[in-house]
Amino acid sequence: MKTLPIIIFGIAALAQWAAPLAQIWTHEQTLAKGTLIRLKCVAPDPYDPLRGRFLAVRPEQDQADVPAGMKVERGMHVFATLITRADGLATISQLSLTPPTSGDFIRLKTRYAYDNKATIEWPFERFYINEKLAPEADKWFAENIRTAQGIIAEVRVLNGRAVLADLSLGGKPFREILKERVK
Amino acid sequence: MNSHHRWLHEQLPQWERDGIVTAENARSLRQRHPLDDSTSGVGQIVMGALGALLIGAGLIAVIGYNWDDFSRPVRLLFAFLPLLAAQIASFRVLQRGDAAAAWVRETVALLQALATGACIAIVSQIYNLGGEWPDFLFWWMLLSLPLVWVLRSQAVAIFYLIAIATWSVSQIETGRAWHDSPLLYPLLLLGLLPWWPGWPPKTALSVSVRWVMTISAIFGLCSAAVFVCEQSDRFLSFQFETAMWLWTLTAAAFALFPLNQAAFEEPTRRKPQVVLGSLWLLGYGLAMTNHEIGRDILMGVSRSIKLPWCWGLLIVLILFVLHALRRRRWAVLSLSSIVILPLPSWLTMNAMNSVSQSMLSLPSWLATLHLAAIGLTLIVLDFSGRRGAPRFGALLLSVLIILRMADSHFSLLAKGVGFIVVGIAFLAFNLLMSRRRRPSTLPAA
Repeated sequence: MKTLPIIIFGIAALAQWAAPLAQIWTHEQTLAKGTLIRLKCVAPDPYDPLRGRFLAVRPEQDQADVPAGMKVERGMHVFATLITRADGLATISQLSLTPPTSGDFIRLKTRYAYDNKATIEWPFERFYINEKLAPEADKWFAENIRTAQGIIAEVRVLNGRAVLADLSLGGKPFREILKERVK
Repeated sequence: MNSHHRWLHEQLPQWERDGIVTAENARSLRQRHPLDDSTSGVGQIVMGALGALLIGAGLIAVIGYNWDDFSRPVRLLFAFLPLLAAQIASFRVLQRGDAAAAWVRETVALLQALATGACIAIVSQIYNLGGEWPDFLFWWMLLSLPLVWVLRSQAVAIFYLIAIATWSVSQIETGRAWHDSPLLYPLLLLGLLPWWPGWPPKTALSVSVRWVMTISAIFGLCSAAVFVCEQSDRFLSFQFETAMWLWTLTAAAFALFPLNQAAFEEPTRRKPQVVLGSLWLLGYGLAMTNHEIGRDILMGVSRSIKLPWCWGLLIVLILFVLHALRRRRWAVLSLSSIVILPLPSWLTMNAMNSVSQSMLSLPSWLATLHLAAIGLTLIVLDFSGRRGAPRFGALLLSVLIILRMADSHFSLLAKGVGFIVVGIAFLAFNLLMSRRRRPSTLPAA
């Protein structure tokens, strides 16, 4: 048996494990130790051919102020400092090119900048759902997205990384609401 | 090749009975072209690949259901168990080396590639990871590439070639960094080098892989051309024409792609890069015979010549031309030279620093003369007893005449008469060629 193919195969097999495991590790860390922030969302979407049904999660805030002297270009990675308002919902207070020394922040991409405002791309956009619950989830999303309380995305944030943990309405988790509706 | 040998072995007994070959000759032929039963047939490989594809697609669909009732660790187990099983199967096949049947090798390699994709998919589903499908595809194809090298899998190579082309097309968007754009395509294609030509050089690529590779390269390199045009100036005028000249340089490089002696002697249909490159060049040449299109192409040339990508293509093309000259590939060289027809006008306009009507019309006239010369040469070569293509030459001349007439200011009546004359001449030529080619009858025994 030749050694080189076996070595290459071994490296490839390890890489095939390492890529998803690295994702799992960082996301588990964020879910376990991250700060919970809540963001108000808009608009649904239905399907990914490889990963199944999902709800498109778009936080309401899609722009942030660019501090004077900071040059923002399209597709640039920036750090957004988050503050929690009196109503418990999070919002971006400022953008910076380096990670802030204190507080919660998310690393995100900018789309374009105009008039000292940058359009931002949140690092989460999909909430995958069970195929059986998907039609009901679509209805629920449509019914509640424009209500005053709105649908809230619960996101765990740690060291700039964000993981979408759940969706909720009126403090009740999304899956619980759906299961009750399907009964 | 085995199918040809099988056919020969099936025919030999009848030929012996009919007295076409002696028993001695038949034995020699059998020894010269033996049947190799150790290699798998195409059918077996296709069935194996299909099986692996169905299992992989099934896995992805099962994942897509999203098993809400199971905990995260259990769902992660669903992701990693098929991958582990596929890896163990691949390792067993790798251990067997050349003793493993080709279809088994193909099946386990494809299965492992699909299990890798399914594993990444389920992890990104569980953690609601963002990112578009091209990002997912990119990592999937990179993690699958080593399987092509070590298991020498054509099925995974085809998947990789389709994936890199799809990824490149999806990345044409202004503002992307070069390493996240179609400019990465040439490097991604080079990723197949350890497999092809491999070291030490192994057997030639199968015709199906050659076609997929050529089509993948067309999409990948043409995406890169569009990307550099958009990147240079979003509001660039004659953007399509600029990209078109870059595509034509690419087509010429395809047609002239260096071949070794064995590939040189193969029939043209087994060389898709020559077939598709030549077809594009012919279409481009014929389009350029139109005065307005010729002018637009000239504008495209003057803009694309400022792009570094264009200079890269020109350098590659010059190297390929030198190689083709050494190999005396006159046919593809004459066809590929169509690409430089706008250059005399461009050089003159640059030297004089002005634009004249005659210079704008020059590419169109040069294209007409060049194609007419090719058409005539193909006919004359045949009549002088050398290898030519008289019917193709006549067809080229007819199309040229029709295009030039359509482009002219003749009356409808004159154009109609012209078309009829060309039609009759074409039929007459066809008849003449049929008579010339008619095989002479065998003398009576």
